[in-house]
Amino acid sequence: MIRALAVLALAVVAPTGVAAHQLVVFASVDCEAVTVEVKFSNGRIAQKGDVRVLDGENSLLMTLPLGRDGTARVPLDRVDHSGGLVIEVGTGSHDNYWIVTPEDIAQKCGS
Amino acid sequence: MTRYFLAASCAALIAAAPALAHYGMIIPDDPMISQEDGRSVALTMSFSHPFELDGMVLDRPVAFSVTHEGRTTDLLGGLQDATVMQDKGYTLDYPLERPGTYVFAMEPQPYWEPAEDAFIIHYTKTYVTAYGDDEGWDTELGLKTEIVPLSKPFGLWEHNVFQGIVKLDGAPVPYAEVEVEFFNDGAGATVPDELMITQTVKADANGVFTYAPPSHGWWGFAALNTADYTLPQEGADKAVELGAVIWVHFEDWTGQ
Repeated sequence: MIRALAVLALAVVAPTGVAAHQLVVFASVDCEAVTVEVKFSNGRIAQKGDVRVLDGENSLLMTLPLGRDGTARVPLDRVDHSGGLVIEVGTGSHDNYWIVTPEDIAQKCGS
Repeated sequence: MTRYFLAASCAALIAAAPALAHYGMIIPDDPMISQEDGRSVALTMSFSHPFELDGMVLDRPVAFSVTHEGRTTDLLGGLQDATVMQDKGYTLDYPLERPGTYVFAMEPQPYWEPAEDAFIIHYTKTYVTAYGDDEGWDTELGLKTEIVPLSKPFGLWEHNVFQGIVKLDGAPVPYAEVEVEFFNDGAGATVPDELMITQTVKADANGVFTYAPPSHGWWGFAALNTADYTLPQEGADKAVELGAVIWVHFEDWTGQ
């Protein structure tokens, strides 16, 4: 499942060229929400950017701004996460993604 | 006749007791785990002569831990018995909850080596990075003895240099001797002379050493020092060899 979603995500997120430092996108699940954390590979927090949430079928579910603390919160009850989620983050000059699999959500929700 | 006898005797002695280097080993299935690889890393622990793939008994370690984002977690209870290189070793599947560098470290029980009339304790560690975040790659654990990386201990191309500082009790060891050996797992590497199995470099006055491997794969670096204490063996005090071991994976260069 992870690899299948990765192929989808790679098709969605076209590389924008090699940057000296990369954007590191990570998302964790606590059953109620997906918390997105974004920083650069040099450790600096990304303070501006757009977070795009797509479902497993590549449909855009929502877009929200990245907070100045480099995080964003996606409530699970506001998105159809049955097929997993792809979290894309773009800061203008850098972008990257994280895949939330159905297994990630199931593990955290104990189902 | 005499010459033939001596030659045969020497050959027998060399065959019986080659100067093989011992290595504690922590080998992950992948030193750079991406999100596409899954959410965990599979580790294999052993004690061996890695070039010859000659295993030795690794009794249950004194300590086995992981350090991530400054926090160290005891993993000793999670080790699973396994056979590694035809001898006793361990495996562990460890979930990687967050990005960053995970440093796995092992302190084995003292290993009595009759051929050297000494005990061997190899403080062994391996660095694994998760999800594209290499923060923490230069983490120093504060082990009794350790090699603190000056080069990232993953994400190196073959022929890149690896540099580290040899430390004992937290202080650099000037001119420390560092043995380097290839984990010849499936590689089929051969040597023109036994001297090539284990290569040796010395650190500089600041304890810094440098090595560039000839190929991709896992390379073990073992900085050896003698402890300032002894351990008893059959009523006698015996020296203790302290090894600071780090395993580094070099990647196959993909360019022309």
